[in-house]
Amino acid sequence: MIEVQDLTKVFRKPVRGSGLSGMVKTLFSRKYDEIRAVDGISFTVPDGEIVGYIGANGAGKSTTIKMMCGILTPTSGSVRIDGVEPYRKRRQVAQNIGVVFGQKTQLWWDIPLVESFKVLKEIYQISDADYAGRMAFLGEVLDITRFLSQPVRTLSLGERMRADLAASMLHNPRILFLDEPTIGMDVLVKEKIRQAIHALNRTYGTTVVLTTHDMTDIEDLCSRIILLEKGAILYDGPLKSLKNRFGNLKTLTLTVPAEIRAETAPRLSPELAISEEDGRLVLRFDADRLPLEQVIQYAFRELRAMDMKIAEISVGDVVKTILEQQEAEHAETI
Amino acid sequence: MRYVHLYFTCIRRSILSRLEYKKDTIVALSSFFFSNLCSLAALYFILQAIPALAGYSLPEVGFFYGFSMLPIALDHLFSDEFWLVAYRRVQEGDMDMFFLRPVPVMFQVFAETFQPEGFGELIVGVALISVCASQLTVTVSIGAVAVLCVGAVFGAVIITSLKVAMSALAFIFKRSGPLLQVVYNFSAYAKYPLAIYPAFLRALLIFVLPFGLFISLPVDTLLTGSHDPWLLSLAIIGCAAVFFALAVWVWTRCERRYESTGS
Repeated sequence: MIEVQDLTKVFRKPVRGSGLSGMVKTLFSRKYDEIRAVDGISFTVPDGEIVGYIGANGAGKSTTIKMMCGILTPTSGSVRIDGVEPYRKRRQVAQNIGVVFGQKTQLWWDIPLVESFKVLKEIYQISDADYAGRMAFLGEVLDITRFLSQPVRTLSLGERMRADLAASMLHNPRILFLDEPTIGMDVLVKEKIRQAIHALNRTYGTTVVLTTHDMTDIEDLCSRIILLEKGAILYDGPLKSLKNRFGNLKTLTLTVPAEIRAETAPRLSPELAISEEDGRLVLRFDADRLPLEQVIQYAFRELRAMDMKIAEISVGDVVKTILEQQEAEHAETI
Repeated sequence: MRYVHLYFTCIRRSILSRLEYKKDTIVALSSFFFSNLCSLAALYFILQAIPALAGYSLPEVGFFYGFSMLPIALDHLFSDEFWLVAYRRVQEGDMDMFFLRPVPVMFQVFAETFQPEGFGELIVGVALISVCASQLTVTVSIGAVAVLCVGAVFGAVIITSLKVAMSALAFIFKRSGPLLQVVYNFSAYAKYPLAIYPAFLRALLIFVLPFGLFISLPVDTLLTGSHDPWLLSLAIIGCAAVFFALAVWVWTRCERRYESTGS
């Protein structure tokens, strides 16, 4: 179980002037900017849950993860992993968690993959029997057996990520932190990694905290999401409720004659947003307020649609909308 | 016991990494060997021109030089990774993985690299000592041999401790390589007899950055019997203990300040 209480991390950075003279002045100045990377967040993750931790770049996701796994010490507030604060008892917690940073590898670059695993076996004090069993399972689920004897530097990005996942699971951690595990991967590899995460979660009951920019990851894996913006939690709850937060949102994509443009098209209702994407008209509306039937009729009659695609709003759209609203509010207050 | 086993596992890994690049290893080993040979040659030529240095003959100065290489070589074998910590690893946020494992960070840094290039220095140093010693006419006591051994081994501990403490400052300053370099460069002074230096430098080299304590004084003890070898051994061991304890203290304090980098 992960318990996060009023967690705050403030970074102090010297106020920097620009240019060479500014840089020199910085050396003698004692002024500091305070950056509140994470600002008083609280949540609890029960055992066996898969949580998606999402937000824009710089929202504080990685900072939170680093505090949860003991790399960073919080400025205030606390994190408890099964009751223990990781930055105080780093080694004890490290034995029970696995961590993958998509941008970095914990494997040794020059040596065959299996040699890295052998070192990790000693570091985590894994018994021979456990090691053999785990390797058999991970080898199958992550499909890494084929390149075990290759040096890590010769692996493709997808192979390396699977190898990193295996390395982080070798000691059967109760909690797995994955920071952008699918970054830079093609669709098929992403799919494979998601299946593997599912399998790990089902087989060992591993709790997974996952950050990603890929909303498909979220929809496939997570029963719950935590949305972070500027260091604070904007939303914490089931994926379904987030989708319904804006009502029953639908998107209609229309192919229309060239003379029909978004700005000049006849309006049906202020509830209906019209925009243009790739030469097509895109209509967005809440089907609870504006009946779908009515919009379809309007699309054919008034907009002379030749082709039509109806889609429910995606999580990505919802997140985008929330973040845009936040930004707009922020701009107003300034 | 666990850590001894773990250390050898990690060292085996480090050597495997080196062997991946065979040519690189051979080039590095031989270039180290040759650079040491070159500095020896330079010393030889200088001493040809000046037959004695503050009353020390050529083989005596050669002995100083050769002996000074031993603790440096031993330190080089076991703690080379700290240079990377000081110069790069902290700045680039590359220490994360050490913090994620259930083993002390400092232990992992030691175990990350075993630097076989140190053997090159060790061989050159021992060869130089042997050659010079054969030309000396001193009576060798057990005490003098003991204090030389103590100086080499515990001197290495002192150098390593300085290295650990200086590189730990990188956790605060992000990069402490140049600072480490400055401290480390003081070992160059200790290649020559302390007698050639002014008093303040001598004091500095004995009490602050004690390269003189474990290099010059033991050699003086062998050559002239200037100090009691057992007392000097005790002083060196005590100094090493204090330095190592301080280094561990500084490291553990600084380690908590590690900030990693954004991703």
